[in-house]
Amino acid sequence: MATEDIKLNRLEDCLWEIPRQGGMRVPGRIYASEKLMAGLKGDNSLRQVMNVAHLPGIVGYSLAMPDIHWGYGFPIGGVAAISVDDGVISPGGVGYDINCGVRLVKTGLIFEQIKDKLTRIVEALFSLIPSGVGSEGTIPKLSKQDEKRLLREGARWAVTEGYGSHEDLSHMEEGGRLAAAEPELISDRALERGLKQVGTLGSGNHFLEIGRVEEIYLPQVADTFGLFPDQVVILIHTGSRGLGYQTCEDSLKVMNKAMSAYGISLPDRQLACTPIQSPEGQDYLAAMAAAANYAWANRQVIMSQAEKAFMKALGINPRELGFSLLYDVCHNIAKIEEHTVDGRKRSLCVHRKGATRAFAPGHPQIPADYQNVGQPVLIPGDMGRYSYLLVGTESAMEKTFGSTCHGAGRVMSRAQSKKQSHAINIDQEMARRGVVARYQGRGTMAEEMPHAYKDVAEVVETMDHGGISKRVARFRPVGVIKG
Amino acid sequence: MANDRGTFREIEHTADLGAEITAADLPALFASAGEALYALIADPATIENREAIMVSATGANPEDLLHTWLCELLALFNVEGFVGKRCEIAYISDGRVQGRVSGEKLDLKRHVFHTEIKGVTYHDFKVWQDAGTWHARVIFDV
Repeated sequence: MATEDIKLNRLEDCLWEIPRQGGMRVPGRIYASEKLMAGLKGDNSLRQVMNVAHLPGIVGYSLAMPDIHWGYGFPIGGVAAISVDDGVISPGGVGYDINCGVRLVKTGLIFEQIKDKLTRIVEALFSLIPSGVGSEGTIPKLSKQDEKRLLREGARWAVTEGYGSHEDLSHMEEGGRLAAAEPELISDRALERGLKQVGTLGSGNHFLEIGRVEEIYLPQVADTFGLFPDQVVILIHTGSRGLGYQTCEDSLKVMNKAMSAYGISLPDRQLACTPIQSPEGQDYLAAMAAAANYAWANRQVIMSQAEKAFMKALGINPRELGFSLLYDVCHNIAKIEEHTVDGRKRSLCVHRKGATRAFAPGHPQIPADYQNVGQPVLIPGDMGRYSYLLVGTESAMEKTFGSTCHGAGRVMSRAQSKKQSHAINIDQEMARRGVVARYQGRGTMAEEMPHAYKDVAEVVETMDHGGISKRVARFRPVGVIKG
Repeated sequence: MANDRGTFREIEHTADLGAEITAADLPALFASAGEALYALIADPATIENREAIMVSATGANPEDLLHTWLCELLALFNVEGFVGKRCEIAYISDGRVQGRVSGEKLDLKRHVFHTEIKGVTYHDFKVWQDAGTWHARVIFDV
């Protein structure tokens, strides 16, 4: 069925439904403005929403957030809540980059204080935080024993090793550690890939962005998060690196072989899955948790390296810099969560593939100091226009299993973006946007230029309008490093 | 074995990178698919044939075999940093492929690096034969 033949019912201004049909077990629901929906006609993402609806045990809807775009298996921006008792787990619903996520770091500085030293800061960041491609990591190569400890402990491992502080741990989803992690389930090849990549950004769409607080929409909430106008903040976007990619690949192979024994047949092999309660399902959950812990340790080390880079470039001490973690979110993950469905509490495995958890105020999994305002949601933009801080709502709990968007969402293929970038001088274009950029591969940068993305403002406004997550602040990028 | 060169072209995909490969026979298809993977990672014109490695993979059918072959090449890049310039298939039969890949370790000072590839996805992954010509379609997660 071509995308243009998919029947869509408009339920609300920014909410569309694909009725249940064929092998779909639930309807599909897409959050999108009319403009964003029009942009989906040219790709396969709506078909992917339908494919996800085939997963055994899926509850409610196959959901898509407004940054939805064509992925592999799940659409990017897809959310599927699946019954823990009789449903499946799908590594494709998490993705290769397990626990790819974002953290937002505050400083005590305003933009005026760094303006003249921005190039120096970006150079220092670029030198202390490698991409990890074709080079050593930022910290000495680990022993396998240390690596396994890291896989059990997550961000806590990094803090114990001297990267950051214990206070940081309370400002991460799950405290930066999934307790179900089992390093013995990680293959030798995945372990090998992980040995020297701790503290590396990777390439693709991963980046570190220096921003300034440009607009505050909810002053009281911003105040609770410690944000003020023109403040310098840092966004770090990366994940579990080669260890996570390999773990996904290993698990997909196992599940593709095992699936038929459980009588499961799906429209896309990338959706390969087995029952959550099966040995394969349980093994994947434990391996995924270990890879997720690697990602938290990675972001923790990068944050600590970024602090060193700022101090070196500005010649100031930690107290003057005032580096502190506002929050860290995962946007490629499957988590076992309690949700109320049709008035009944249920244990669900919520797959978020390019989607962010957005829990409401008062939820027990939100840090104590944010209980009154809700969970921070971090939305990196396109490195050229703006990034956002949002906050979770009760509406998200009721309608999207506590989930919202994760970024701008691509609108242009990488090949197209590269073609358009041929005609422009990337450095000049970023400078025109007021951004000092340093990057490893011109190809990646050309594929990731702002013109390849939707306007992230439209994406977050859609979620704000639908009451799913509210805008708290907008950041203007001023410096970027990329692998 | 016959190793007439196949061809590949990049295909449009919003989030990721894809390639469609065409060749007269299976060995050429596998060789070209490997070269397509490497061309997405780095500019082959900047890679030199400094060393050669033997790579083998197994799979139940041509589709699985091509998938594991590409996964092996990607793993060797990720663990050893080895980027191939030219692939030659020495043996392909009964669910097993063996090839010789010449190239060198990635050196960011000399090579034009494009992007890291996270995985060889199964999404829309296809190997098929049409009027005596072999085709493959693969989408890589980047």
